[in-house]
Amino acid sequence: MNINFTLNGKGMELDVDPMALALDVIRGLSLTGTKEGCGVGVCGACTIMVNGSPVSSCICLVGTLVDKDVWTIEGLAEKMPELIDSFVEHEGMQCGICTPGQIVAAASIDSVGASSPEEVKKYMAGNLCRCTGYQTILSAVEDHVAVN
Amino acid sequence: MSERRIDAVAKATGAAKYTADVVLDGMAHVAVNRSDFPSALIVKIDTSVAEKVEGVLGVFTAKDLPVAVNLYGRRVFDVPILVNERVRRVGDPVAAVVATTREIAEAAAELIEVTYKEMPAITTAHEALESNAQLIHDRPWEYKGAVVTPETGRNIQSLETHGSREAAEAALRSAVHIIDETYTTPGDHQGYIEPQACIADYSADGSLRVWATNKSPYRLRDVLSSVFGLDPKRVEVMPTILGGDFGGKGAPGEVPLCTALSILTGRPIKMVLRYSEDLLSTDGRHASEIRVRLGIDNEGKLVGGIAEALLDGGAYAGFKPVNTVNLHGIVDAAIAYRIPEFFVESKIVYTNNQPKGHMRAPGSPQAAFAFESAIDELGRRSGIGPIKIREINLLSEGDVNPYGDTWLEYRGKEVLSLATSQPNILDIPKGWLYGEGVALYARSMAAVPKTSLRLLRGQGGKVIAEVPIPENGAGGQTVVREMIRSGLGLNSDQIEVKQVSTSLLPTDAGVGGSRVSLGVTVAVADAIKLWKEMPPDQDAVEVTTNEGSDGPSGAYSAQLARVAVDPATGQLKVLEIISAVDVAEIVNSKAHQMQIDGGTVMGFGFGVMEDLLEDAGQPWALSMGEFKLPNVADIPKLSTVLLHGGKGVGPNNIKAVGELTNCPTGAAIANAVADATGVRIRQLPVKAEAIYWAMKEGGTK
Repeated sequence: MNINFTLNGKGMELDVDPMALALDVIRGLSLTGTKEGCGVGVCGACTIMVNGSPVSSCICLVGTLVDKDVWTIEGLAEKMPELIDSFVEHEGMQCGICTPGQIVAAASIDSVGASSPEEVKKYMAGNLCRCTGYQTILSAVEDHVAVN
Repeated sequence: MSERRIDAVAKATGAAKYTADVVLDGMAHVAVNRSDFPSALIVKIDTSVAEKVEGVLGVFTAKDLPVAVNLYGRRVFDVPILVNERVRRVGDPVAAVVATTREIAEAAAELIEVTYKEMPAITTAHEALESNAQLIHDRPWEYKGAVVTPETGRNIQSLETHGSREAAEAALRSAVHIIDETYTTPGDHQGYIEPQACIADYSADGSLRVWATNKSPYRLRDVLSSVFGLDPKRVEVMPTILGGDFGGKGAPGEVPLCTALSILTGRPIKMVLRYSEDLLSTDGRHASEIRVRLGIDNEGKLVGGIAEALLDGGAYAGFKPVNTVNLHGIVDAAIAYRIPEFFVESKIVYTNNQPKGHMRAPGSPQAAFAFESAIDELGRRSGIGPIKIREINLLSEGDVNPYGDTWLEYRGKEVLSLATSQPNILDIPKGWLYGEGVALYARSMAAVPKTSLRLLRGQGGKVIAEVPIPENGAGGQTVVREMIRSGLGLNSDQIEVKQVSTSLLPTDAGVGGSRVSLGVTVAVADAIKLWKEMPPDQDAVEVTTNEGSDGPSGAYSAQLARVAVDPATGQLKVLEIISAVDVAEIVNSKAHQMQIDGGTVMGFGFGVMEDLLEDAGQPWALSMGEFKLPNVADIPKLSTVLLHGGKGVGPNNIKAVGELTNCPTGAAIANAVADATGVRIRQLPVKAEAIYWAMKEGGTK
């Protein structure tokens, strides 16, 4: 079945099973910055942006993406270099496996309008990090929010 | 001298490649049918339906394996690649499906019919020790690498003791005040976000290439060459990035199985564990029960102590890498204190639970919870006070610790004083009970591990450093770059640091034991020296450091937890954790701080949330929905105070940090709860229900 959506700003037409997971379809396109973690929509490592909102691609069927505007870390890295810089400058990462998901979530923060440090914390609670203790990630996201 | 970390841009843009991202031509995928029973005999395996599924390339059981002995391990070889006759835990691998896709392999694995004859299961460490307990392994002393003998005792994986039980008991009889309590902690998991994964690619010419989420590539190579009878020179473990480790990625994991299947099918074989499978079938932290007895004289001085730990090692001992097959953190429980007569016993038993291995400071979080709770209880009950009793008994200059060592310096009193003297600007919820609790941890850091490294001339004056170990996130490769930068007076962009395969450097002991920075700095310092003396016609220098010791020394951390408890419900809020950390020189301040913060958050998780919920031979927390890790909204305010000026080890004068702050947190929180409520929680994680019922029934500090 043909599925049409916009991926990282470009129109896509894919012949895939609409019941396939968005995570698997996206990674199958060599966009491996989207990571598989928990597989049950808890850890946030697989976060993609769909119509401006963060979505766990591991529990998202690709058929639901029809006509949607979908962004992965690869596209956002080009579109929002200042957000990447913020994570790099603050070293908002250690092992890096959760980092693309953290950044895609941060890029989508306008969808809820979180701005105070407490709101940012609450918003970012869907992206687990086991390494950093979160402080550098929070600094990176708060900088991003302050600039926008 | 901090500059941005070496891997930051690649990780932030999604360009960094991890094991699961590697794709090889002709690659097939594997899924495993695992035991549903903790203890059973396999009567029959029917693979006929699974074999007929379109896309299935083969279904394999133990009898198909191309090995002389179907066992592997890190030190003790007692783990079967696929089980032949008897399953010893839920999740034991029974049959493997190789298919063109992961989804087909998984679907077909479900179609394998295994008929079992159930056997009685031993699901607690106590049951394993009963005189009529069924033997989990009939003759465990016959396994390669075993440390037990027929005399060690029933179902024992490892038994370590230190000191004299009789002398310690005699000393306790002379004490004026005594504490005798037992503390328990649950099975836990490292909680790395990247599930374990591997690819094995065997060629008909007898060579094997492996990509794996493994932090000890040289040890993995040696295990594979031993299990499959391959020439170690033809086993090549390829470089990779680790998506978190925390001790969980040192074992061979599914690499032996994938190697066997690659030999059998002639294809590269890939396996990426689903996270639920990772929670079920890897090697987490041992559940513990530790009885602590401590006695003081009328001046508050400890006269004797006994710590007896019973640890649930699960169905296999093969996931513990050290020579003792034990957890040194248990034996080292009293390392910060002056105790004239101290006896410790660490007994690890076989059960029909998940096998356990190493997790960030193996044994120490359990031991610190027990010991630092006990000394706190003794301080409160005797009227001396929890801080004062520590001040009286912490080691100071010239003292000998309970293990017979005299450290270069003892900084326990200083970190304790720093942790307990910080301002309090917290908002305490109205009507809630407020309390503070302290706990301390010290670890020895004398050992310098074996490693090797090469520096090469690159183009345009560049220096390339080839290192043997994967970057696990702690920043080891950035440490290498920083040292070369300052040692050779270069800019960051003139230096490239890269991991190379096991065929390109002589050796390494693997990541672990808070020793990466130390081992690496010794090797880099040696290499820089050789580089400066290198004749112009030479293009590379290579160094190999030997295992050594840099004089007995240690590093300390003390934590103060500030908590509030709702008296109506028992709900616990950890408001702040202050970590006072003993440091010498710091090579990279951001990476150092993240070890402190990340460790504290992991200790917080161990203290109040993490639990595999093992019961009746089954872990019930089999997804991150049930196995809770702290998220950013869960965690308390984190504050750090550094105690500078320590005497470090190695050429850079550094102290270990990676396993310091995750150890005392559980005790600090439980001690704070006792301070707030007057009730003592001796079981982790500390839960609102436990506090509520303890307050209702009345308790003691």
